[in-house]
Parts: sequence; structure tokens; C-alpha cells
Amino acid sequence: MLSVVLFFLFFSLFLYVLLAGADFGAGIIELFSSRNQQEKTKKTVYRVMGPIWEANHIWIIILIVILWVAFPVYYQIFVVYLHIPITLMLLGITMRGLAFIFRHYDAVKGKSQVWYNGMFKIASVVTPFFLGMIFGGLVGGNIQLFEEGTNQSFADIYIKGWLNPFSILVGLFYVALCGFIAANFLIGEADENNELENYRKKASVATIVLVFFGFLILGYGYWKEVAFVQDFIHNPISIIAIGLSALFLIPLWMMIKRKQKKWTRILAGFQVFFVIAAAMTVHFPHIIITSTKEYSILEGVAPDSVITSLGVALLIGGAIILPGLFHLMRSFQLIKLFKK
Amino acid sequence: MENLEAARLQMALTLIFHIVFACIGMVMPFFMVISHYKWLKTKDEIYLKLTKAWQKGVAIFFVTGAVSGTALSFELGLLWPGFMEHAGPIIGMPFSLEGAAFFVEAIALGFYLYGWNKLPEKFHWFTGVIIGISGVLSGILVVAANSWMNAPSGFDYKDGVFSNIDPIKAMLNEAWFTQALHMTLAAFVATGFAVAGIHAYQIYKGRNKPLHKKAFHIAISFAAVAAILQPISGDLSAKDIAERQPAKLAALEAHYETKKGVPLYIGGIVDEEKREVNYKIEIPNALSFLAFGDFDAEVKGLNDFPIEDQPPVAIVHYAFQIMVGIGTLLALAGLLYFLSAKWKHWRVKKRFWLFFTLLTPLGFIALEAGWIVTEVGRQPWIIHNVMRTKDAVTPMPGIFYSLITYSFIYVLLTFVVSWLMIRQINALNNEE
Repeated sequence: MLSVVLFFLFFSLFLYVLLAGADFGAGIIELFSSRNQQEKTKKTVYRVMGPIWEANHIWIIILIVILWVAFPVYYQIFVVYLHIPITLMLLGITMRGLAFIFRHYDAVKGKSQVWYNGMFKIASVVTPFFLGMIFGGLVGGNIQLFEEGTNQSFADIYIKGWLNPFSILVGLFYVALCGFIAANFLIGEADENNELENYRKKASVATIVLVFFGFLILGYGYWKEVAFVQDFIHNPISIIAIGLSALFLIPLWMMIKRKQKKWTRILAGFQVFFVIAAAMTVHFPHIIITSTKEYSILEGVAPDSVITSLGVALLIGGAIILPGLFHLMRSFQLIKLFKK
Repeated sequence: MENLEAARLQMALTLIFHIVFACIGMVMPFFMVISHYKWLKTKDEIYLKLTKAWQKGVAIFFVTGAVSGTALSFELGLLWPGFMEHAGPIIGMPFSLEGAAFFVEAIALGFYLYGWNKLPEKFHWFTGVIIGISGVLSGILVVAANSWMNAPSGFDYKDGVFSNIDPIKAMLNEAWFTQALHMTLAAFVATGFAVAGIHAYQIYKGRNKPLHKKAFHIAISFAAVAAILQPISGDLSAKDIAERQPAKLAALEAHYETKKGVPLYIGGIVDEEKREVNYKIEIPNALSFLAFGDFDAEVKGLNDFPIEDQPPVAIVHYAFQIMVGIGTLLALAGLLYFLSAKWKHWRVKKRFWLFFTLLTPLGFIALEAGWIVTEVGRQPWIIHNVMRTKDAVTPMPGIFYSLITYSFIYVLLTFVVSWLMIRQINALNNEE
């Protein structure tokens, strides 16, 4: 049953990174578009994402519940040492939720929309940035565990772990990844030529930025001897995954150029999958790297009775939710690929 | 301010706000589907308009509830890592099922909001019903997790180690049913009276009467039935507490001396230093009867508990008085509504509408007071008789700043949602 639980953990992580990422990314694309295109993006995104907007953001709740139920020791380190960036990310999530409500449900459509849009765009950058930073903090090897009798300051324990160049780079990388997902996704949804042209450009720029930050992270990590990056370079699976993702960039570029809607999206999905696979396999199961010790996610795993019941609950839940979600997407032809 | 106090305040504040959003998001779908059903049956355009207006409310509160719920699911760990480390696996069952129920609700909401004129009529209506059912289900599951803190079960505890964990037994702990029943009814009472009150005000002001009257009748019917049933559920809860958490019972009654045939205090000012209650009204032997069904039963007083195991008395006692007082008033208001079906001329009077307008916030005040009773009354324990709250709090100093941040977020959320609601109602009246 542990494998079922782990599967759902990574499955919800993947879907959150992908689906919420597409949603964050849509806000980022809005930020970098001309005023005219902003309105169009907003409309397209609402048509495509509206009905599943709420569902997209529930994956993180599933993720966090699985963490605390099945991996309590791991979860405890996570919430104690990364308290501050988690709070900042929650601020971002709240702001986005608010802006979303305002943009779509305010009975009066007036000048105030400018404010809502601004708030939405800013929160769309801030939230994934802190999400990335949290992951960077988890694996960056800068977390100092609290030790009795040593002279650690507040900053040593609660700030330096996540506020460092490596984490910031990972944060920027995830922001770029969100933009990348959204742009490639939207190519398939554009109704007009100039809208399509806009997404095509954004997709190209995002790909370049993404690759740039990817290299920057690897380069910086190599130079500063960040354990995560060192291991990344020496882990065959990670190297293969990242190599495949580089290889698949070529067909992706060709598809973007040809405005091939379906393949652009599938290939972009591959990229996300490879990036997550590469990042997760580097150290698996050691997903927390502190300055002194590497923590395995399987360390202090909950007892069998808990894992079994959680696994059963997840299987039943999955059996209800996934077909429901799929049916929802199809009913509204949310995604043009489903159109017959 | 000390870290523990700041963390407790932050948790209280977050929950106080979240419960309002969650209850409305849980109960409003029922009003919506009733109105929708009437639209399908009668084809009266007003019901369609009302359904769509309430649907917006449901959507707004769902998103707000989801956002504050996401924050809460992190806060549990951010503030109480010591608690989550041990309790997380034990109460994982209701939380993971709640996640699933919440997900179903989100999917059903997607179908419902976007399904107008696209889905078959009956299926579309039915997705609305699913929103309501899965909402109530997630509410019950969350309460089951909370009730475990009052009636911990499904594990063995020795020398700080939790073993033999049985998640199903933990979920179906002794308190889950009474607490879930009390809370579900409370959600209907609070939301029902609040929604009915808002529409009563519009009728009082003479705005778009046909619509607001239909709205009022749907909301108040739910609220009145729930309010009349609530005292029975309250009695069950009281007997439960008397048996399992005698210190909480003593605190909510501000009962210090262990005695037989104990009176029930109504009102009164608690003097925590002198350990006595002044200016109260006494009903002889009533507490013994209410708690144990026997007029002469012995009720253990606070003085017989070690000082470090006693909850704060004054706040719990006042909150309990407020809850019971308002609960009684609302049950009477529910009766009044049903009587007005017979004496229809009452409903023509402006006073009738003013009365229900004034009741608007009361259900929620009672609901919050009830949570204060159960949460503060459980102190100093976070898990009753197992783990103390002070041992669960995060080691990170400076939670005070976090408290300020969260206060800001939630006050903002409240203003925003209220402002949006006012704009919705105005738009609804202006359309006419």
C-alpha cells in the first residue's frame, strides 16, 4: 500500500505543478501581454479553465494531507523550517483567489477591474516563485536543524535555509516553467491568428528563459557544490530524464513553429514530467537535504494500519474523482483536443 | 505576547473566519437547488433569477472557503507541528476522506456553474444536489477529526509514544456523532437565519418583494426546522461532555464545588480569583438533571481538578450562555415562523420583517460561541488528557508577526466578500 500512497503523492504533485502551473502561467502571460491581448487571454483562460479552476487548486490540499498522514516526520521538518516561505506562498494563494473572485463575480464591471487584474498578475508571479523557493529550500542543503546548546540565531534556522541564491534560482525556474506550460497550452486554444501569434511568441521566450535558468541552476550548483546538483549530475536517471527533455525540445520547437496544437501540448507536458522526474529521482527517497543530514521521506513513515487505510481511501477517492474530472472536461469541451 | 498565546489566537482567528465561509458554502447549495427545483416545476422566472443569484453566492463562498481552507491545512502544521506529527497519521482518515469529498464538491460545482443550457436539465439540477451533499459530508468529516481531540481513541499511548493505531476507530470516536449532528444543525440555523434576514431586510425596505419573499421562505424553512431540533442535539452533547470531559462541563457552568443536586446558573459574572459566580439566576437541581438525567446526581466541580488541568472559566461560561441564549431565541423564532403560516396577517406587518432582519447575525454568533465553548473548554489539552497545547506549539519564535499577517488576510477577505455581496444584492434589485 505504501507504493499506492507514494504514487498518489507524486501524482498530485505532478498534477498540481502542471494544472496550477498552467493557471499561474496564464497570469504571467497576461502580465507580459499587450492590453488588447490581455483581455483575450483572460477570456480564453476563463473558458478553458473556469469549470476546473477550483479543482486544480485542490491538488495541493491532497498533497499536504498525504504528507502529514503518511510521512509525519518529514512533514514536521517541512513546516517548522520553511514556515516563512510557506506563509508567503499562502499569502499569494489567498491574493489570487480573491482576485479571481473579483474578476469573475463582481456584479459591477467597472474601473475597479484594473485593480483586480493587477492583483491577479502579481500574485500569479509571487505564488509559484515561493513554491519554487520552498522546493529549493528543501533540497538546497542550507537548512540548519535546531541543535541544543549551539549558538544559532533566528536567521540561521528559519531564514537562511530558503533565502539563498540557489532557492531563488529554483523559484525563478518554476515561474518560467509556469509561463512555459501556459503558453504551450494556450496555443491549442487560441481563436484568432494574432492571439495564436502572441502565445507562440510567449512559448518561444518561455522556453529560452526556462533553459537559461535550468543551466544557471546546474552551473551555480556545480560551482558552489550544492549537494543536490552534485548528485543530480551523477545520477543516471536524472541525467537521462533531463537529456530526454533537452532532446524533446527540438520537436517541440518544430511543433510550435508549425502551430501544431495537439503535439505542442503533449510535448510540453513531457517537459514538465521529465523535469519533475529528474528532480525527484535525484535523491529519492531523500527529499530533504539539510546542512548536516539527508532525510528520507520514508524515515518515520506512519504505521502500516495508517498507510493501508490511507491507500484504500485514496484508491476509492481516485476512482470517484478522476472519472468525474475527465467527464467534466469532456462535457464542456474545455479542451479542444476532446472535440470530435 | 508569548508564542503560545499568539499561536492560539491565530488559530482561533483563522477558524472563526473559516467556519463562517465554510458553513455558508455548505448550506447555500441546498437553498439554491430548492429554488432551482421550483423553477423547473413552475417555470416561474423569479425562481430562475433567484437560483442564479444564489449560485453566485455559492461560487464566491466556495472559493473563499477553499482559499481559507488551504491556508488552514498548512496552518495546522505551521503552528502545531508537535500535534500534527503524532495526530496527523491517527486522524488521517477523516482528513483524506474530506479531501475527496471536497474534490467531488469542486467537480460538481464546475458542472453546475457552467452547465446552464448545456447539460440535460435534471442532470444539471442533480449536480447541484451533489454540491450540497458533498459539502455537508466534508463538514462532518472535519468535525470528526476535531471530535477526536475531545475523545481520543484508536491508539495506545505510553511514555509519549503512540502505538497500535487504528484510523477507523479514531475517526468513529465517541464524540463524532453528537458533535457532527450539533454542528450540521448549527450550520443550517446560522446560514438559514442569516440568508433569511438579509432577504427580510430587503422586504422591509420594500425592494423587489416577490423575489425576496420567495428567497426568505426557502431559507427560513431550513433554519426554523434546524433551530427547533437543535436543543435536542445540544442536550445529547451536554450529556456526552458530562461523561467524558467533566472539567469542560464544570467550566461551561462555572461550577466550582463538587456537590449533589447542583443548580443551573443563568447569566452571572464569574470571579476567577475568588472562584465564585455573582449576580446569577439559579434553577435548583437543573444541572444535575441536564447532565446526568437525575436531579440528585453529583457533579464534579472545578476545585477537584488539579489547577494545571483546569480550562479558563469565565470565557467558556459566557460563551456557553450566549450560545444557549441565542439558540433558545432562534428556536422560538422558528416556531413563530411556522405559526405565521396559520396567522398570515402577521406577515403583512413591517415589524415581522424587522424582527427577522434583526436576527441576521445571531445564528453565527451562537455558532462561534459554541466553538469557543468546545475549544477553550478543552484547554489546557490539545488532545484531551494526552497532549498539552503548550507541548504542540511550533518552536519558531515570532508567531506574533504571523498572527498580524493572518489577521490582515482574514479581515480583508471578510470585507471583500461582504462588499461583493452588497454589490450583488444591489444589482439584483436594480435589474427589476
